[in-house]
Amino acid sequence: MTTSTLPRNDRKKPLNWRRIGAWVLVAVALAVTIAPFLWMLRTALSSNSALASNAGNLLPADFSWGAFKRVLGLQTTEEAIADGGSGAAINFWLYLRNSVIFATVTTAGQVFFSAMAAYAFARLRWPGRNKVFAVFLTTMMVPPIFTALPNFLMIKNLGLLNTMAGMSLPFLFMTPFAIFFLRQFFLSMSREVEEAAMLDGAKHLRIFFQIVLPNAAAPIATLALLTFIGQWNEYFWPLLVGQDENVRVLTVGLSVFKSQSPQGALDWSGLMAGTLVAALPIFLLFIAFGKKVVNSIGFSGIK
Amino acid sequence: MKKTLGVAAAAAAIALTLSACGGSSPASSEAKGEINYWLWDANQLPAYQQCADDFTKANPDIKVKITQRGWDDYWTTLTNGFVAGTAPDVFTNHLSKYPEYAAKKQLLSLDEAVEKDGIKLDAYTKGLPELWVGQDGKRYGLPKDWDTVGLFYNKAMTDAAGISAEQMASLDWNPNDGGSYEKTIAHLTVDKNGKRGDEAGFDKNNVATYGLGLTGSGSGQGQTEWSFLTATTGWTATDKNPWGSKFNYDDPRFQETIAWWAGLVDKGYMPKLETTVGASMPDSFGAGKSAINTNGDWLIGQYKTYKGIETAFAPTPKGPNGERASMFNGLADSIWAGTKNPGASVKWVEYLGSTACQDVVASKAVVFPAIASSSELAAKAFADKGTDVSAFTTHVKDGTTFLFPIADKAAKVDGIMKPAMDAVLSGKKPASSLTEANNQVNDLFK
Repeated sequence: MTTSTLPRNDRKKPLNWRRIGAWVLVAVALAVTIAPFLWMLRTALSSNSALASNAGNLLPADFSWGAFKRVLGLQTTEEAIADGGSGAAINFWLYLRNSVIFATVTTAGQVFFSAMAAYAFARLRWPGRNKVFAVFLTTMMVPPIFTALPNFLMIKNLGLLNTMAGMSLPFLFMTPFAIFFLRQFFLSMSREVEEAAMLDGAKHLRIFFQIVLPNAAAPIATLALLTFIGQWNEYFWPLLVGQDENVRVLTVGLSVFKSQSPQGALDWSGLMAGTLVAALPIFLLFIAFGKKVVNSIGFSGIK
Repeated sequence: MKKTLGVAAAAAAIALTLSACGGSSPASSEAKGEINYWLWDANQLPAYQQCADDFTKANPDIKVKITQRGWDDYWTTLTNGFVAGTAPDVFTNHLSKYPEYAAKKQLLSLDEAVEKDGIKLDAYTKGLPELWVGQDGKRYGLPKDWDTVGLFYNKAMTDAAGISAEQMASLDWNPNDGGSYEKTIAHLTVDKNGKRGDEAGFDKNNVATYGLGLTGSGSGQGQTEWSFLTATTGWTATDKNPWGSKFNYDDPRFQETIAWWAGLVDKGYMPKLETTVGASMPDSFGAGKSAINTNGDWLIGQYKTYKGIETAFAPTPKGPNGERASMFNGLADSIWAGTKNPGASVKWVEYLGSTACQDVVASKAVVFPAIASSSELAAKAFADKGTDVSAFTTHVKDGTTFLFPIADKAAKVDGIMKPAMDAVLSGKKPASSLTEANNQVNDLFK
């Protein structure tokens, strides 16, 4: 799309075909993006037992709040079954709490420790630094599924199964991606500021906390947001180690809407309602921090 | 940080060297405390919750915590629990799974308890208790319910096609021309132009409603897909049951039946296999996309809830031997070998297998309990709800059931048979290719 930075004048811009074409493209792209969400909402507001016979209808089939009631645990098993839904119990508020704790703790830990490591890789001079970093980056190539089993056994032997600690530990310290991301930014920071601080007698800790971190607020916010979304949607590891009701997170909790018996059908409306409600916090985060993410692409500070 | 990691690694190493080997024998048989119980079918949750409440009333020292987990996640979570030491004390067990659990010493045998507490095994429907006696001769479960297979059909569609309920209940089948079973399926198939499957000009590439729904290839058991047909030809899956070690997928009777069944796809009477991936046969039925579904009685409730669809039930067709057939599968409750509370677990399993609890289950009209008298109550409860379940009970009455093939290495057999059956049903390979699969399966037992 073309954007003009000409001073604004009151003359209307002529409607040319190009602009109309651009608007149409944007409208189509928007529709394609939003349509699945609308379909989810429509399914969530339907009765599960009426969905099959109204597959082509754009409006909810036999409108009902039942699915949302199921998700929020306001329906008894008998009511849910009569509604054609899964009668499985879902302790929504507990799972939501667990998801928030899990995502927050892992995000905070990961961003903080990765920033420290990135600082070491970017600003400190030590023998073999780049070799270590290269080795580090190669660990990005290891698919998580390879480490799942050793991790599981380690957490089991530490006696941390079904605890928040056991769920968070593998994500708590660092990921190569986060370190790589922040290192790139730290490399571009000016040496002068750092040297001035050194002359004033500041040590690395102080430089890190008082100069580097504040200057890197935007990329750190970006990283935190990306990490949080990733952790919020994390499924496999919590499924392995967080089966217990008390530490179950939303992603794992949503599986109660899957088929209850062999050859049985899914509770589609419950599943869609649950997914929508589970995605809501992320949506709110985006509204709050979306601008920051975009802005972090344009760096501030002394070049 | 380095330090903590070092400590953690050391701790892990120590734990590894000390890790127990599990399978400890119950030291005390004190029956107190809380036990965990798992089941997969949410439809049965209210009934079993009621049982748990009644049980705690009678045994105030024991609390039962019920966890329900859908079939899709149930087994992975359970095996994960065996490894992690977090499995439930008591759980609903399945015939296709228990041989491996027993072989891996994950189940507690119930022989002692049955003897000591004088459990009457003849109160159960005939044949059910023996299913749970393992290869080592030990009993690993007390029966809780049974199920058979039947035809679920869309009544509006059979009415429109001029097929009466009597006709639906007296179908016959053979592997050569499919008998009246195939004729009915053909007649109930309707293409986009409204032409029926047995009319001239039927367009098999544009079918609106299939005569017969499809859920999958059925792997090596075909419980709800084809087992009720193959059994009427005299074929059995294994040389003996339970604990057979030679499979018969190379038998021409079996291969002819599968060839006939896969042929329905070519004729346009049954959906293609690839259309069933990620789809649900009951939902397709609810959408009016198929007229007949062959399915198990545990889904009666689900088929009944579809709005705007009247589902009726008919028994499976009579085969070449002049009789009907249905696989007879039953569930049982088992105790995990790692339970910290064997005493209370045994009490709970005995209660689950008792008339008191099974009558409660019967009253909810969801499944047929294993105890014969409770089973009759269930049939009454279904009738009160307006559901005629004679299509499913007739097999027990007439003795036309055959048992689910119980064998060791079920997961490995499944790993060979599922792709092999998929290939045949999707038309990639002829039915004769199952001979090769059968050789692979039998090699497992050498």
